[in-house]
Parts: sequence; C-alpha cells; structure tokens
Amino acid sequence: MSKFSFRYVIDALLQGITFLFSSISFLTLGAILVFVFNQGWSLVNIDLIRYPYESTTILGAPLEDQNEFCLCEPNITLDPEVFYSNKWGVGFSQGQDLLGQATVQLAYIHPNSPISSLTNKGIEGNEFVLLPEYLIQKISYNDRSTSLARRGVERMINELESSNSIYEIEVITKGGGIGGSIITTLWLIGLTLIIAIPIGVGAALYLNEYAKHSQFANAIRSFIETLTGVPSIIFGLLGVAIFIPLTVATTNATGGNLISGALTLSVILLPIVIRTTEESLKVVPMDYRNASLALGASRTQTTFKVVIPNALPGILAAVLLGIGRIVGESAALIFAIGSIVRDEITLTDKSTSLAVHIYSMMTDEPANIELSSTIAIIILAIVLVLNLLIKFISSKIMKGKLGGVI
Amino acid sequence: MKKVFDTQNLSLFYGKNQALKNINLSIFEKSVTALIGPSGCGKSTFLRTLNRMNDLIPDVSIQGGVWFGDISIYDQKTDVIDIRKRIGMVFQKPNPFPMSIYDNVAYGPRCQRNYSKKEMDALVKEALVKSALYEEVKDRLQRSALELSGGQQQRLCIARALAMNPEVLLMDEPTSALDPIATAKIEELIVELKKNYTIVIVTHSMQQAARISDQTAFFLLGDLIEVEETKTFFATPKDPRSESYITGRFG
Repeated sequence: MSKFSFRYVIDALLQGITFLFSSISFLTLGAILVFVFNQGWSLVNIDLIRYPYESTTILGAPLEDQNEFCLCEPNITLDPEVFYSNKWGVGFSQGQDLLGQATVQLAYIHPNSPISSLTNKGIEGNEFVLLPEYLIQKISYNDRSTSLARRGVERMINELESSNSIYEIEVITKGGGIGGSIITTLWLIGLTLIIAIPIGVGAALYLNEYAKHSQFANAIRSFIETLTGVPSIIFGLLGVAIFIPLTVATTNATGGNLISGALTLSVILLPIVIRTTEESLKVVPMDYRNASLALGASRTQTTFKVVIPNALPGILAAVLLGIGRIVGESAALIFAIGSIVRDEITLTDKSTSLAVHIYSMMTDEPANIELSSTIAIIILAIVLVLNLLIKFISSKIMKGKLGGVI
Repeated sequence: MKKVFDTQNLSLFYGKNQALKNINLSIFEKSVTALIGPSGCGKSTFLRTLNRMNDLIPDVSIQGGVWFGDISIYDQKTDVIDIRKRIGMVFQKPNPFPMSIYDNVAYGPRCQRNYSKKEMDALVKEALVKSALYEEVKDRLQRSALELSGGQQQRLCIARALAMNPEVLLMDEPTSALDPIATAKIEELIVELKKNYTIVIVTHSMQQAARISDQTAFFLLGDLIEVEETKTFFATPKDPRSESYITGRFG
C-alpha cells in the first residue's frame, strides 16, 4: 500500500513540474506579445507607411500679390481642439512628436487663405502649397515677435490673429514613416529566398540522394551543423569582407547595399535550408524510390518526379524558417547593408530592414520604445501574412499532387 | 522451354556477409517460378539481383553471372535502365506513388518518352484491364491512388509495372500485406498473367507456391537447396531439408 501511494506522489510531482514549466514558457511568450502590443499599438497607423522617414523643413514666405486677409469662417465643422484664426483662414491643433515635444499641426486651411500657397525660400525657390499635415515650427512676423511651436498652439494662434503681416513660416513635413524599411525587408526576403532555396535544396539533394553514406557527405553534414550555431554577426563580417567588395566591383554600389545584404542572408540561411530539406528528403519512403527505379526511371527522374514532390512540405517549411530568419536578422545586416533608413529603395544603395530600423530607433537619444514596438507589431504582421500565404500555397500544391488526399 | 534467366555460380556479399552462395538457377519463359524458404534465406536478395535492385544498397558485391536471354545483367556495358524496363517488379508492401491512379500507371512510360494523350489513355486502360483493376477504378482515374484498398493498391502496382510492357514480372511477397480475399484475387491474376509474362515470385506461403507456381526453388541460408517442378517438389522432395521445411518442422 505504501509503495502504491509513493508512486502517486512521484507521478503528481512530475506532472506538476511539467505543467509549471509549460505555463512559465507560455506566460513568457504571451508577456512579450502583451508588451509589444501595449507599447506599440497606439502608433500603428496608416501614416507610418504614407509618410517618408525623412522630414524636411521648409521656410515659406507669403506670396506678394496675395497678402490680404481671409476673414472667413471654415467651410467644414472643425474639431473642438482646433484653434482657428479667421483673419488668416487657418486652424492649428496641438500635437506631440515622436520625441514627446509639443508640436503645432496645421489642421485646416481655408481655400481663400492668403497663406495657402507660399514661396519656398530655399534653394529651389518654388511656390508650394501648405498641406493640413504639416507641422508649423515657427511663424515670424513683420510687426511683432516670432511665435514658436513649443510655446503651445493657443499662444501661436493668438499671436497670428493679432499680427497683420507675416514675414515667414517654418514648416516641417511629416516624417518617421517606415515604408522604406518595409520595402527593403520584402526585397531582402524575396532575393534571399531566390538565392538560398535553390542552392540549399540542391545541396540537400546531393547529400541525401547521391552521397548519402560517403565520408565527404558526413564531413559536410557536421560542418553545416557547426555553421547553424555560428553567431550571425560573423556572417556579417563575411558580408563586409566579400559581398560588399563584390557588389561594389560589379554594380554601381558604393558601399553596403541591398544585394550584399541578401547575399549575406543567403549564407546565413543555407545551413537551415539544407538541414530542413534533408530531413524532409529522409522521410520520403524508400519504397517510392525503389518503385520508380524498378519502373525504369533514371535516378534523376526519380529525384525530380517522386522525391522532390514528396519533400515539398519540408522545403516549404525551410522557406518559412528562412523568412523568420531574414526578418529577424539584424546583427549581420548592420554590417552588410548598414543601418541608414532610406525612403527611396534601390538595390545598389544603402537601406535598412525593419529589424535594423528598430536598432536605429533604440540607439537614438532617447530610445524610442513606442515606435520600436510598433515596428515589432508590423514585423509580426508581415511574418504572419507570409506564413499564411505559404501554408495556403502548400495546401493547394498538396491537393494538386495527391489528388485530394492529405 | 526457353530460358529467360540463367544464373551461373552467383554469389552475393553484403560487406563480408555472404547472402547468396553459388546459385545456379534457370527460370523459364511464360511460367511461374516460386522462391521459398525461411526468412533471411536469400530469396528476396536473389530476386533483386535479377533487375539489379541490389545496386542501391551500399557495400554489395556480386560474383558469378546472371544471364537475361543473351544479356549479361552485371556486365559493365549493360544499361540498367533497359534491364528494368524489360523486367518489372512488384514489392512486398503496396507502394503506389501519392498521385492519381492514372498518373501512377502512366509514370513508367512517361519516364521513357512523350506520349500523346490518346496513346497514354489507351496504354493506361490496357494495363488496368490486364491487372483486373479497370472495372473498379474506371470512374475515378484522376482520384488519388492512396484512396484504394490495399489489394487494389497492389493490383495498381502490378498495372504500373505492366504499363512498361515488360517480359518478366518479379514479385517480392506481393500478398504478404493483404487479406485472404485480396490475396486470392492477386493469385488469380498471376495465373492469368502467366500466359504472357514470365513471373518470379518470392513467397512465404508454401500453399501459395503450390497453388500458382510451375517451378519451385527452395533457399536456405543463402544456398539453393533444391529446384524442381512444383508438383514433384511438394510431393517428393529430394533433399531432407526441403522435406522438413514443407512438412513444417522449421521455418
């Protein structure tokens, strides 16, 4: 009897430990999601993609022939938070920039406003239109002292209302967008997969179908296993030492660029692709190969007509792992592309992936945790969408291949 | 009767392990030869030497000769693909490819050359009719072969081999994974196919060998103990070991 109850105690203990550890892991993973969404959700906004990363400052002066007052009421209903000057026909609202500084945003501008178009006092000197998304940095007048955005919107609108002549207006276009980095990330995913998947699958086919038991294959296998454990920053060094000079020599690139980044990522991906694919080739039943060979098919025909179609789920798993690795890679990319955020993406120029974008945001002074979390949410969304897409494609392929089974 | 296969002092080694010892066996045209013997006696290994399937196993070495008509199967110049085109094989476990029934049958011919759809349709139908499967599957040729029952899958594998229009069918315990009814159907089919094809079948069941074969070869520990016309073999075995095997004293 005592022996019996002792067994129950041990069972309960082991089961308790299992449940405890599994809940710890689930809670930890859940906590990361909660943190990221809690910090970043408020900034998730279409503006992140709509606006470029770079904001530009424009100094504008009123056009000379239009310096009359508007004295008009707004033709739409304005938010209660918008302060409106009917002399100048503009409405401002209070905002806060990504660093927490007070900003004044142009919320509304009447079509008849004397300052709806301004002369750009910069080098180009063109006429430009004030858009309701610009931030007003400061307004200086001919007849009174300058109003500054950091003193608040109410004071600025009062000073504007009391002035009769504007000298110049300094506006900032909205920036902070991550569209460029999203595009770079997608380019990296595409290019890297195009390079790494065929090469990796080819290597796995060689290892599993042609050189399965050779000494050479075994040596390669253990070498590949070692490579999966190498920190990616070392691959980044490889990128700097080989791929950047290579791309500089062969294209019009002048330094780190998208192609050198994709090549570096391909090298990081290769061990993963080879191993995952080889595992999936191993589980293709020997019976299929035998049947094919016994039917007078050559080895190559057997490989391409029977083995690869049956290993496709595994190859797609390699693609999925690859996407995760590409999106998540930062250390190697800081070397191989650089961490400069760009809006216009060209293959031979510097730009940055979303993960490195987070790195740049966090190395800013002060670190921008909110925006970084927002980017993290977007990364999660991209990975999720791509995963679903690939699962969808793979289920379609399987349906076609297996005639409805599986 | 014309000899299809003739082995002369055939020995086979897995590494240092000798699996076949000086086998001399003739197999005759349009007849069924049954290879029997306890597990591990070398009967499947022998079968696989006939279409060079042992090539796939690392560390195999072969001595002696295997003649297929006037072709030496293990000659350097012999095209192994040509051999396998002329010698079909059916395996122990039904192993249709995870494709449609139609594609399974069409697989072998497609590997050789391009066929027009009409030619291929006719070829597939002919092979399925010959393997007595056509009536059961004619309405679902495009469905997956994996939906078929085990017996149907095995007959599909036979159809797949027949689509290559081989001269010989090698069968490695084709009914060992099947129930008695499916087994009976396959046996019936083998007797029918004998009219046009030479069949070599490995079997664990002595009853099966007695029912369907014309010639029986008894293997034991890599030796060919006795080869004899089936009726004679089961009625009056010459070797005492054959007698103890068929009377069930070992094996």
